[in-house]
Amino acid sequence: MDKIKKMGKIMLIGFAALFLLSWIIYFFNLDMKASVYLKKLMDKVYDMRKRDRRL
Amino acid sequence: MGKKMNSEKLGNFYYGNKTKRRREWRGAADTWYDYTRWLANWKVMAKFMMKPANLKGFFRYRWMGSYLAVPDFVDRHTEGLRGPQLRIAHKEFDFIVEHVCETIGNLFRADPACGNDEEFSKRVVVFDENMMSQIMNGFPNLQMVCREIPVVYTPSTVLQEGVLHYIDVAEEFGLPSDVCPMPAAELGCAIDDDFPQIGICAVNCNTTCDGSLMGNGVEARRFNIPTFQLAVPIRHMQESVQEYGAEEIKNCIKFIEEQTGETFDWEHYFKCMKTFNAETKLFREWLELSKTDYPQIIGNNVALYRDAYYQVGGGRDARFLQNDREITELGYQGYEKKVLCASQVRHRAVLWGVQAQYYTAFPIWLQNCWGILPLIDMLSLTSTSYYSEDDKEQAYLDMADLYMKMNMRNRSNGGYEVGVDDLWRFCEEFRADMVIMYEHIGCKAMAGYHGIFEEQARERGIHLVWVTHGLMDPRKASRKDMRGEVNRYMRAVLQEEPLDPTLEDFADDNNW
Repeated sequence: MDKIKKMGKIMLIGFAALFLLSWIIYFFNLDMKASVYLKKLMDKVYDMRKRDRRL
Repeated sequence: MGKKMNSEKLGNFYYGNKTKRRREWRGAADTWYDYTRWLANWKVMAKFMMKPANLKGFFRYRWMGSYLAVPDFVDRHTEGLRGPQLRIAHKEFDFIVEHVCETIGNLFRADPACGNDEEFSKRVVVFDENMMSQIMNGFPNLQMVCREIPVVYTPSTVLQEGVLHYIDVAEEFGLPSDVCPMPAAELGCAIDDDFPQIGICAVNCNTTCDGSLMGNGVEARRFNIPTFQLAVPIRHMQESVQEYGAEEIKNCIKFIEEQTGETFDWEHYFKCMKTFNAETKLFREWLELSKTDYPQIIGNNVALYRDAYYQVGGGRDARFLQNDREITELGYQGYEKKVLCASQVRHRAVLWGVQAQYYTAFPIWLQNCWGILPLIDMLSLTSTSYYSEDDKEQAYLDMADLYMKMNMRNRSNGGYEVGVDDLWRFCEEFRADMVIMYEHIGCKAMAGYHGIFEEQARERGIHLVWVTHGLMDPRKASRKDMRGEVNRYMRAVLQEEPLDPTLEDFADDNNW
């Protein structure tokens, strides 16, 4: 019984932490701020790719 | 910060960077709703990226990088919204996100560079970007893919610099820089080897315009699959062209049958048209709501979504109908509660001309900054007729009618009565005192009407505000330039003060 209670408690804390984290990411727009850097990185990947450039 | 509109100073969120400082606080209930929708969109995108073919495509194609800004795109189109309008916006834009993910998934599944599903690719018919899709209602075993929509059209909307690379590539190959950026970007993408090579055959169309059709002809050299050029009449109001239009539809159907070995399934066609008619009925209800003192489904909440279900959905995807029913219900709820779409409604406007792809969130700025309600836009005012659900000969004429009345060209190329006369008719019906007149620098289609619009607006006492733009190229006229033209009119002519002064002038040239 104690084990189940403990597991429930851990799960509850886990969900609360996830919720809090996602809320902070959402409200402070951190996902988009991170995407800015990812986009720059991806542009370098696209620039490196060899292409058959012709009409 | 609060649940009322204009309680946050929205211009302060822009600080010269790609994205905004933070997301908006809309009161507990609306912020919670927006947060749950944000999570749902990330779930859709994460699920999409888990497929190996899609991941390969992400690293292979430059235009895929634009989709990193999708949550920002949704934020832009829900800026300042509250209550039913916020929910309607999410119903539409979130569904578009899901739908585009599915389309790209199909592209990559068939693409030899990603999923390489040859059997699937043999069932794909590639359609032009600005083209109605109702012909495919008769081919339930085939898959229609508008190749340019996820590659060029949507990236330029999600990210303002989304297709600039492709425009530059086309110009490097000698294309003049004063042509329409849409076919230029499509051509640049083909030259740059950035289109997935898929499908058993392709159908190109002279919708949007003949310039677009000519660009497609050049691009077709890269695709190396049999291509049909569907040329439907431009002046679609003339009785004499209807039969010719129907003939073109018959020829196109024959072409698809020959290339794929499939036979046109009339039963399935009429089933889809029933869905399409049901969607049209709901759209007509939205328009009726917009004619009242309490419009609910307006501006951004009509424009892009209408493109999606009228043109691309075409009645084949019943999920659009379900979504439409939910939107209509929200619209009626808002109407009954007399909800206003702006904190103060100062002007009722019709948006005419072709919108800027890189600033599709412009109508929402009109609401938030100046209290101008963008009741309806030209591209959404397409056909609202009901089409035959059982007569085969009539169905050919119906399909031709729909192709001729495709969103972008219906009024811009359709002649004086649909381009000019209808504008004043709509102003009267919607009781609009203002017209926001988009002027696309690189398009000559409506340029000849310029003086006529000004003269007739003056006669009718309607405020006509010109907003110049470069369709897909913000270097020609930036978002700030577009806003500047409205600001000048509101200050100099109407001598009004903005509802949110921080939105009058803010730095978003570098913004996504």
